[in-house]
Amino acid sequence: MTDFMQVLILGLLLGGVYALMASGLTLLFGVMRVVNLAHAAFMILAAYIAFFAFELLGVDPLLSILIAMPIMFVLGIVIYALLFRRIEGTPRYVEMTVLLTFGLALVVEGMLTFFFTGIFRSTGPSYARQSFFFGEFFVPKGQLLALGVSIALLSALWAFLTFTKPGTAVRATMQNRTAAEIVGVNVRRISAMSFGIGMALAGAAGSLLSFLFPFFPSRHWQWVAILLSLIVLGGMGSLKGAVIGALILAVASALMTHRFGPSWSPITFYVALFLVLMVRPQGLFGKVVRI
Amino acid sequence: MTPLLQLQDLTAGYGAGPDILNTINLTIESGRSYCIIGPNGAGKSTLLKVVCGILKPRAGEVLFRGNPVGGLRPDQLLGTGICYVPQERTVFPAMNVRENLIMGAYSVRNRATVQERMARVLEMFPILEERTNQLAGTLSGGEQQMVTLGRALMVNPVLLMIDEPSLGLAPQVADQIFATIGDLGRLDITVLLVEQNAHKGLQCADWGIVLDLGTTRFEGPADGLLQDPRIRDLYLGTRRGEVKEADR
Repeated sequence: MTDFMQVLILGLLLGGVYALMASGLTLLFGVMRVVNLAHAAFMILAAYIAFFAFELLGVDPLLSILIAMPIMFVLGIVIYALLFRRIEGTPRYVEMTVLLTFGLALVVEGMLTFFFTGIFRSTGPSYARQSFFFGEFFVPKGQLLALGVSIALLSALWAFLTFTKPGTAVRATMQNRTAAEIVGVNVRRISAMSFGIGMALAGAAGSLLSFLFPFFPSRHWQWVAILLSLIVLGGMGSLKGAVIGALILAVASALMTHRFGPSWSPITFYVALFLVLMVRPQGLFGKVVRI
Repeated sequence: MTPLLQLQDLTAGYGAGPDILNTINLTIESGRSYCIIGPNGAGKSTLLKVVCGILKPRAGEVLFRGNPVGGLRPDQLLGTGICYVPQERTVFPAMNVRENLIMGAYSVRNRATVQERMARVLEMFPILEERTNQLAGTLSGGEQQMVTLGRALMVNPVLLMIDEPSLGLAPQVADQIFATIGDLGRLDITVLLVEQNAHKGLQCADWGIVLDLGTTRFEGPADGLLQDPRIRDLYLGTRRGEVKEADR
């Protein structure tokens, strides 16, 4: 039982971070029906920002979130305006977005490899190596801090979507794009803003990733697969779904690691992905959408 | 006096497809209610989509109170008082009735005005008053239609375009919706209604317009069109043999 509780704690600690990673992805799908395959590549890009800010300037990775988020927000708006605006309204929009984000992921990965090589990196703030005991349970300090940051950012995102006028417009666009357009929401501006917010969330997640997990440019493929399985389980486009999907799968993967060893952990996500697609393709909180 | 809305040689279509509206000319005067009838594919819905800004015209002019408005976005047109209620039910399903109505006033900045209009809308639709906290996605078809109509009224429209409000509704519910639409004239709203159910549509309008193959075929007082044997035969489907012809 103690063992199980310990695994549960470690799973939930990581689950919160996974939820933050997945939130940008599910937001973007909800607003624009874009499955951003480059989401994790941008996370890795932000991890490099945090890495060099730490190595060269001594900036703590938690503080570099404040650098990464605005940079990624602006980058998101630029990418939306330069690339996504061109394919809006084209007959094969959904297929085009998959190709476009796949291409973006390759470009980001290629540039990172070109400039920073393919070697393993990891930022090493002191708390990343510290841990403490809470009662009889072992708690890694870095993961606890990352969870705290994730909860804070997800709460801020929720409050923005619930209580502000632009946030309400984002929710309206997610629920019915035509209706949002009719009541006077500038859906293009909302799309651009959502793209920026999604990227900023990837930026924050990347800063956390930089000290939680070792990374290198092509690592994003593994991450994007995990994130897709989380949001498919939760229901694509649902923020609540992304959080719950992340917590469930993080705990499941922690249990797998505990029972069978770490090499079995990644397969948890793929098995979950297949099961969800077979049994309940719309996920836990998703609705059936026609594309 | 400048007419409220004028379409001049307007041509429009979707994507790379053929022209759905073909050099159409139409004048809408304020203070009257209009009903556009015509067979499937005549371009009725397309006409509304162009006027409200969802679809860009390919050629020709849309004049609203004499000013060219063709090609403006819906959020730019709302300020002029042009409002559109589309055919498919377009409530925000995960928001409650109150939030849906508030979204209708998205372009209105003054909170007091929003509250005032909401009170008026709830007065017009007493059923919605009882359901203000219910999620719109869980309402019946008729109630959802009332939400979309009520939501449109939140901007105090000058020209309200309604596309097939009776679609998929039980006859009594549809009658109720038509009765409400008939009353809109009293609020100084010019109604432009598109309706497949030509009889019902013409009954609640002053002026009828027959659209076919992307252009206007006839227009005249709605009572007159209801009596006109040519219209009856071709578009109202009163003679059995001709019904299928008109539906094609």
